[in-house]
Amino acid sequence: MTALLTTSVGSLPKPEYLTRARTKAAKGELPSDALQDLEQKATREWIRFQEEIGIDILVDGEQYRGDMATYFAENLEGTEISGLVRSYGNRYYKKPIVVGELKRRGPISVDWFSFAQSQTDRPVKGMITGPYTMMDWSFDEYYGSRTEACLAFAKLLHEEAVALEAAGAKYVQVDEPALSTRFDELPLLVKAVGIVTKGLRARTVLHTCYGNYNEIFDYFNKLPVDQLDLEMSNSGLDLLERFKREPLKKEIAFGVVDVHSHVIEPEALIRERIEKALTIFRPDQLFIDPDCGLKTRSVDEARDKLRNMVAATRAVRQVHGLT
Amino acid sequence: MVKTTVVGSYPRTGDAFEEQALRRGIARLDRGEITEAELRTVERDTVKAVLKEQNEVGIDLVTDGQISWYDSQSHIAGKLASIEINGLVRYFDTNTYYRQPVVRGAVSRNGPLLVDEWKFAQGSSKAPVKAVLTGPVTLASLSLDKHYGNKKALAGAFASAIGEEVGALVKAGASQIQIDEPILTQHPEDLSLVSEGLDRIRGHKAKATLTLFTFFGDVAGIYKDLQEVPAEILGLDLVQGAATWPVLAKHGSSKPLVLGVIDARNTKEEDPAAVAKKVSQLNSAVDLKASYLSPSNGLEFLPRERARRKLRILHDAARGLGVAG
Ligand SMILES: [Zn+2]
Repeated sequence: MTALLTTSVGSLPKPEYLTRARTKAAKGELPSDALQDLEQKATREWIRFQEEIGIDILVDGEQYRGDMATYFAENLEGTEISGLVRSYGNRYYKKPIVVGELKRRGPISVDWFSFAQSQTDRPVKGMITGPYTMMDWSFDEYYGSRTEACLAFAKLLHEEAVALEAAGAKYVQVDEPALSTRFDELPLLVKAVGIVTKGLRARTVLHTCYGNYNEIFDYFNKLPVDQLDLEMSNSGLDLLERFKREPLKKEIAFGVVDVHSHVIEPEALIRERIEKALTIFRPDQLFIDPDCGLKTRSVDEARDKLRNMVAATRAVRQVHGLT
Repeated sequence: MVKTTVVGSYPRTGDAFEEQALRRGIARLDRGEITEAELRTVERDTVKAVLKEQNEVGIDLVTDGQISWYDSQSHIAGKLASIEINGLVRYFDTNTYYRQPVVRGAVSRNGPLLVDEWKFAQGSSKAPVKAVLTGPVTLASLSLDKHYGNKKALAGAFASAIGEEVGALVKAGASQIQIDEPILTQHPEDLSLVSEGLDRIRGHKAKATLTLFTFFGDVAGIYKDLQEVPAEILGLDLVQGAATWPVLAKHGSSKPLVLGVIDARNTKEEDPAAVAKKVSQLNSAVDLKASYLSPSNGLEFLPRERARRKLRILHDAARGLGVAG
């Protein structure tokens, strides 16, 4: 029996040499193939690190992405990228604008998936920014309807999911951080994610974070994926009680380290969190990962958090005689 | 011609190098390269630029763009006694976040909240500057209450503090005060609390004009009762809150309105003539001469260059309404 498999949510911090190179490339001072070499180098390093510490299901670390929605939009037909928009504090991003009929020009993330998968024998997750989040995080000058724009994204992201599977992805993850934005649109989200995951043989995962889980709880079992990936350490540990009363009929990837804190959670604390999760979920149903992408942490912080996470999982496996 | 105004926030950073001074300044402050005082100067230069952009287009009633606000909640609540500022929470259905106020004890006003900012802005603008405050019920709803144990009491305390601030703003010369209560579009049942809050605030406003603004949705279900609130002008989001339009067209308005008809959450550009034509349908139902056209909410959700274009559309739409005035 596989039990307590470890994984990551998606993004990992970029090493300093890559951050510097991206700034240079943006100013036109570095050719794009030179930047790509460094993105590959950083990807290789992260793959090697995840193997070394013994993570079971790997991610490519998204070293080639800026913003998760912008990256997908840049590679589609029917989009433009806007000027800077503020998210909070001093953080800004360039928001996609839908200006025409959305079409997939060709593979978006498949080449990076293939590159990462070629570096390891362990499974690497294919990563898709979900249709609802793509819609919610874009301006729309074409469809004039949130539903239509969302479903248009869903159709082309399905093509991407199929291509990832064809390239060998055993896991396809759909990221929907915008899931809890408008509760009245949850049926739309369910429909759109269903279009993306339709007919896939790969294990499908939906990641979301920082939402009011109590409001969306009733939808958890309706989400058309095999696995839910939830931020639990930051706000969700109280959610466990609810799962006790209303069991989850899917696998769960359970976030055990906070990605917004510099504090490296000690192994003992993470073990406690896993033990708590084990009182509700079966070991074969339970996956262990961080709350969300680690990209806002420093490389060292991310490594330390992941190391402790794996060590804690191992210790729990041992105590329970799980292999 | 119908007058024009804005709702409050404005993009503080643009894509041109010189429009990024504040962003660079904050980063430099974080790295310890400049002082708080130096950052204040950069902030004020940005306020001046934002006022200039509004003045140049010819907006009749402007704001300081809330350039120095971290967000709409913590900037006001964070200056009051017994309030701590916590982590980030999503702001309504936007992809932006506010730092959540945590109420630890009796809320009170220790000193000015916005008076200095308003004075500076008015000194830098040809057009009158509206003082905009987050409303007590929205503040109470978006805060974490560890003290009062009920929203009515907390909203009442916020209303008293905001009322005092309104008094100070009016004393400093502000003649236009706007209270934002976006919470009403999500929780229309809070209308009576909003009314009570405005009642407290009204006692401090002297001769100034008081506007209540609701955005991020419609108020169709409470439209008739909204007409009774103790404020002289009502501001309505008629884009995301398009459902308010038919009710408004049917019942008219006994108060002048701020008609939020320009979409402040989407880059898509309206045709000014079409906007003017639509608004002119209200001619017999609303006193348009005393009313304003505006964006549907603060312009901060748009890139700066798009926000400027929206101001231009707003101005052209109002001019197109010339026949009505
Ligand atoms: Zn996340």
